[in-house]
Amino acid sequence: MFAKIFTFELRYQARQPLLWGVALLFALLTFAAVTSDAVRLGGGIGNVHRNAPLVILTLLSVMTILGMFVITAFVASAAIRDFEHDTAALFFSKPIGKFDYLAGRFAGSLVASLGVFVGAALGIVIGSWMPWLEAERLGPFAFTPYLYAFLVIIIPNVLFLGAVFFALASLSRSVLFTYLGVVFAFVVFGISGLLLRDLDNQALGSLLDPFGNASLNLVTRYWTPVEKNTILPALWNNFGLNRLIWMAVGLLVFAANLAFFNPAKSVVRRKKKKLAEPEAGVGALGAPSPAGWHAWQTLRATQDFSAAAAFRLFLRQARLETAGVLKSVLFLVLLAFGLTNFLFGAALSDDIYGTSVYPVTHNMLEGLGGSFSFLLIIIVTFYAGELYFKERAHKMHEVYDALPVPTWVPFAAKLAAIASIVLTFQAVGALAAMVFQLVKGYTRLEPLLYVKGVLVDSSFFLLIAVLAIVLQAITNSKFLGYLVMIVYMVSRTVLSILSFDHVLYRYGSTPDIPYSDMNGYGHFVPGYLWLNLYWALFAVFLFALGLLFKVRGTESRGKIRWRLATERFRGPLAATLVASLLGFLAVGVWIFYNTNVRNEYLSSDAQKDRQADYEKKYRKYKDAALPRITEVKVDVDLYPEERRMAARGHYLLKNKTDKPIDTLYMNLLPRVTVKALDFRDHERTRYDRKQGFSIYRLKQPLAPGETMPFDFSLEVKNPGFTNGDSDTSLVGNGTFFNNREYFPDFGYNEDRQLLDRNDRRKRKLPPVLRMAKVDDLFARRNTYIAKDSDWIGFEATVSTNPDQIAIAPGYLQREWSANGRRYFHYKMDAPILHFYSFLSARYQVKKDRWNDVAIEIYYHSPHAYNVDRMVASIKKSLDYYTRNFGPYQHKQVRILEFPGYQTFAQSFPNTIPYSERLGFIARLKEDPEAIDYVFYVTAHEVAHQWWAHQVIGGDVQGATMLSETLAQYSALMVMEKEYGPEKMRRFLKYELDNYLRGRGTELIEEEPLMLVENQQYIHYRKGSVVMYALKDAIGEEAVNRALASYVREVKFQEPPFTHTPDLMRHFYEVTPPDKQYILKDLFETITLFENRATAAVWHRRADGKYDVELTVEAKKVRADGKGNETPARLDDWIDIGVFGKEKKGRKEEETVLYLQKHRLSQPTTTFHLVVDKLPVEAGIDPLNKLVDRDSKDNRKKVTAAGKV
Amino acid sequence: MLSIRNLSKTYANGVEALRDVSLEIPRGMFGLLGPNGAGKSTLMRTLATLQEADSGTVTLDGGAGTLDVLRQKEEVQKVLGYLPQEFGVYPRISAETLLDHFAVLKGIANSRERKEVVQGLLRQTNLWDVRRRRLGTFSGGMRQRFGIAQALLGNPRLLIVDEPTAGLDPQERNRFLNLLSEVGENVVVILSTHIVEDVSDLCTQMAILAQGQVLATGSPQELLAGLDGTLWQKAIDKHELADYQERYAVISSRLFAGRPLIHVFSSEPPGNGFTPIPADLEDVYFHTLRQAGSAAAAQAA
Repeated sequence: MFAKIFTFELRYQARQPLLWGVALLFALLTFAAVTSDAVRLGGGIGNVHRNAPLVILTLLSVMTILGMFVITAFVASAAIRDFEHDTAALFFSKPIGKFDYLAGRFAGSLVASLGVFVGAALGIVIGSWMPWLEAERLGPFAFTPYLYAFLVIIIPNVLFLGAVFFALASLSRSVLFTYLGVVFAFVVFGISGLLLRDLDNQALGSLLDPFGNASLNLVTRYWTPVEKNTILPALWNNFGLNRLIWMAVGLLVFAANLAFFNPAKSVVRRKKKKLAEPEAGVGALGAPSPAGWHAWQTLRATQDFSAAAAFRLFLRQARLETAGVLKSVLFLVLLAFGLTNFLFGAALSDDIYGTSVYPVTHNMLEGLGGSFSFLLIIIVTFYAGELYFKERAHKMHEVYDALPVPTWVPFAAKLAAIASIVLTFQAVGALAAMVFQLVKGYTRLEPLLYVKGVLVDSSFFLLIAVLAIVLQAITNSKFLGYLVMIVYMVSRTVLSILSFDHVLYRYGSTPDIPYSDMNGYGHFVPGYLWLNLYWALFAVFLFALGLLFKVRGTESRGKIRWRLATERFRGPLAATLVASLLGFLAVGVWIFYNTNVRNEYLSSDAQKDRQADYEKKYRKYKDAALPRITEVKVDVDLYPEERRMAARGHYLLKNKTDKPIDTLYMNLLPRVTVKALDFRDHERTRYDRKQGFSIYRLKQPLAPGETMPFDFSLEVKNPGFTNGDSDTSLVGNGTFFNNREYFPDFGYNEDRQLLDRNDRRKRKLPPVLRMAKVDDLFARRNTYIAKDSDWIGFEATVSTNPDQIAIAPGYLQREWSANGRRYFHYKMDAPILHFYSFLSARYQVKKDRWNDVAIEIYYHSPHAYNVDRMVASIKKSLDYYTRNFGPYQHKQVRILEFPGYQTFAQSFPNTIPYSERLGFIARLKEDPEAIDYVFYVTAHEVAHQWWAHQVIGGDVQGATMLSETLAQYSALMVMEKEYGPEKMRRFLKYELDNYLRGRGTELIEEEPLMLVENQQYIHYRKGSVVMYALKDAIGEEAVNRALASYVREVKFQEPPFTHTPDLMRHFYEVTPPDKQYILKDLFETITLFENRATAAVWHRRADGKYDVELTVEAKKVRADGKGNETPARLDDWIDIGVFGKEKKGRKEEETVLYLQKHRLSQPTTTFHLVVDKLPVEAGIDPLNKLVDRDSKDNRKKVTAAGKV
Repeated sequence: MLSIRNLSKTYANGVEALRDVSLEIPRGMFGLLGPNGAGKSTLMRTLATLQEADSGTVTLDGGAGTLDVLRQKEEVQKVLGYLPQEFGVYPRISAETLLDHFAVLKGIANSRERKEVVQGLLRQTNLWDVRRRRLGTFSGGMRQRFGIAQALLGNPRLLIVDEPTAGLDPQERNRFLNLLSEVGENVVVILSTHIVEDVSDLCTQMAILAQGQVLATGSPQELLAGLDGTLWQKAIDKHELADYQERYAVISSRLFAGRPLIHVFSSEPPGNGFTPIPADLEDVYFHTLRQAGSAAAAQAA
């Protein structure tokens, strides 16, 4: 009987178009992920094959999360169908057991659900055969990954989710309850995500993820491209456990379902209900009422058909329609789902090293936008169909359509209802966000900003709502209306992939309107408003078009609808159509004038073409001899409210080469208006306006050692508004730009080259350009920052609005006011790099001193939270660096806040701009576990005053190790003094984790640290780990001694500039010969360890001490750039440690009983150690100082001898 | 007074739902009788502004002048009451709430007046006791009475009731017809039905519609008079039926005490045991349909 029910169910499901539709959709999704770079799912990038086993697993795993909604539909249908169609009685009156019925239905619907994933798998298989894919990005076809995916990922997921949803559906007999199950699954998923934030909770957090996605990530997170391409995850680990747990839970849920299922429940209840109801109206008299017609006459009432009445009718209808939706369970479920999504997102947001940020309002708004947007599009589309066809669904449309109600009233009312749904959703979201803020103890509520933010965010959905309902009206079919809407949404994405990104033809699009606490919505408002007006007019037109073609009555034939439309095209409707269309066109012209005439519009493809063109035309000048800028004097006038800047500058150019220079290659942003250029007699031999590239031939060449002045006067304006990429440098409050944006520079600019290999291939450019080799002496003639300059003298006068403070590097010489403006004159006393910033904002200033160095923090006044921490960090940093590396070249350190359009901190000479999103709103908890990253980032940036602004590497491999890695090390040391080694280990855990993850996402080739090619996961993350390990091996004093002598040797160096071998030489000098192997492991190669403790037991000795017998395994491997590993000879000093526990106050703390470095050369070693107190744990490299992918198995619990 | 002239309508699938239909419908109860698929609902929906005609005109006189029903839809809607053949309700809403809602939509803006009207109609339609009940629990008859209540809101001058008695039990049907009979003579009431008694019980004027054409029109008395002295009946054996149908113009046959009782049309006495009978409306109906059928057959031949 089971088999019969099973096959019946399977056949039923197989006939449903939903199954085939979703299977096709899934196939398309995975196909797109495999064949294009636009859909980035699964991680098949760089050296990882597009069809690598791990990519297949990840893709299919993500598909099961998406597939949750489909599974729900299938199993709920199987569980509820009989009760909805009242066929349950037919089944249960036959001799069918509960088990046969439920299991048959359940299994049938599960197998049907699996069909969807077969579609997804086929999408990958077929996708990987597509001819346009590069052969080197594809691995051979293998069947096992698919089998593995089905057995280990898909089937357990479908089983668990299916069991839960089936139980919910068959026990509650309600589809809505079943969808609540989806919310529940997301909650579990969200909690898992919360736990995963902390590296220490990863095992637990990933077990909690019912989809197994987190576990899969956990066990494969450090996989290199080679591993991703070749192997499948083992199952004897967290991942396998996760799968077992959730499969078991699925089976348990199904068993419970069997136990509690009562087939008679719903049927019986319904019968009772019917019996309980009296047959109403039976007693009514059959005779005509004696009053006859006259009775009706008395009912005469006045009817009002005026326009005002129609409007009141509209309001009433809108209210009723809205209330109908808001009271529905479905809406509440969707709202709960959206809020869950949002709150988990908010709780997870912006977390750096375990430290979170204050839940400032604009972050909350971004979270709301992110978690609601997809949902709102679905809601708008869905309710457009539901509401439009509500009367038809209830077979009331004939009554309604014959009523004396103007056609626009119900149509507009339904639209208004959808708008209210959107706004209600957003408003509830905003309230939830405020509650979230209060719960987090953040009391600076900004309800007005919420109103603005919600409106800004909602306008798109309101416009989409018009489109959705008009599509329903025009297609006159709910299904077709949905379909066209889906096609439209897909086409939006496709268009943007194809680089059709102008707002004028993307319905509902506006230029971005980011919010910054410093600058508010700033200059983005006009463009946003104009575009909204534009689309609103179009929406009115669409709406009127909908009215024109809307079916009223039962006439749905195209020809007749067209005739009716021509009849309806008169009076106010015709006027509205014409006026809205004209208005739309007129506003469109104005927008076009702004985006394409007053400003330049380049599609993303055109932008890339331009970059390619620059490279093709001018790369030949890459090695041309250039004069060096040696002196800069500028007057910069800032007009923040106009977003305008005028600059008059003076460079002194010097020929530092040994040959005369007769040509100048000058770059200047095309947007910059040149008022005047004044230098030695010359002629312009080339002028490329589009690229902003000019070539000047000097009539009289610049002789070796000779200097010449180069004067310029220029202006930058931001008229009107742009399509995208609005200039965020010159803004109302928080201007921030550096010289490279607007000032002329010289020589072919390699920063403008395209980096993405696909972009390059499409434009027939040679493969990705790599950095020059570490010992390329010619390349070392330039610093890695610039080729037209090294050290300059600097002086600037900056003027701005009287209520703002303007800052440039240097010391304030004088401040004065003239012609209603405020002037600041800055002058530098030491040579600096040709890299300086200008800022202007309404600042609050905090001043302090460290010895003779002035400390100043310029901040946005509500962001005072961490200013004191910054000051403290600066003081401690200066103290450590001057003592250990050498003197500080300036007399001042300044930190300046800038708007969060960008998120970074950057160190300019004595000036550190710091994004408002980074650090200023960080929330430093009293939690001793959390890492104070404000302190850390500040220390890092201050360290750059040495590492970059004194010591600057040549433009070859390893250059960023000399700045970023050394700045990391410096910051680590300051932090260690402040917080102790315990916290450092926590910090380094994150660094190691990030490094190991970074390896897996390498696009080209991993390099050893000393050959790093600007790879962030290497120069920051690995840099921290490596430098700390070095310090641990040879001592802080030795490392600092080497660094100090290195600074002395190379600071303010002339070409050729230093490279990493110089620094290595100093390291070798301070490292004893028996430890020098470590320099090779850390800097010169990619070395990894696989250490673990395999056994640990203790005996109590007669003297009360403890013998510990500890067996460890040690293994060292070297990896190449792609991740291929070869064993390396082990002869290393490695920590061996034993730990106890001690009560300190309330908490138990770990105590070190034994910690010594031992020289290990065997794969397995057994130690006999004696400790004073009861040992708890013991292990090899127990503090995780080495690069080891599985650091958890380094320690083991110590057990008493004899016990197991 | 509603005049329908030369109204024709062909659907996209080629079905000619109305063929050159012309009718003069005076005030009072007008019965539109026809079998299923005759085009009754098409005609009713066209009159109710819900459907377009391919050709022809419809005008409604009286009150404030003449209305072109096919063009001046909004004006017609203001004086129209319509109970469609198929009509649902929001199952979770009470009768009173929904009727009040319809009253608003009919332009009765004043809430006091509206309350009176709604309450009056609920009483008239005998739904007063159940006015707070959810419409989902209503029986078919209650639902139809609710339908007529909503159609009567706002004192329509033109009341269109499309097959209201289909599916009602005799008691409900009776109650419904009584209700309709009260509406009186000052309004044009068009009742479409395939049940002859509906018309014979209620209507002062009628038309018979089949295959989109008007086969007969007039008062029931006039139509009955046309058949005076031409109808005969006889009880026969079952096996004889085919033979009789061949030899006589059999317009109806029904079982009476287990034997077929046939009615035949014949201007002369047919003899052979037939007895004369007075015509009733059903005979008129079947006779008209039969004639139309043989005419169509003759045309086809």
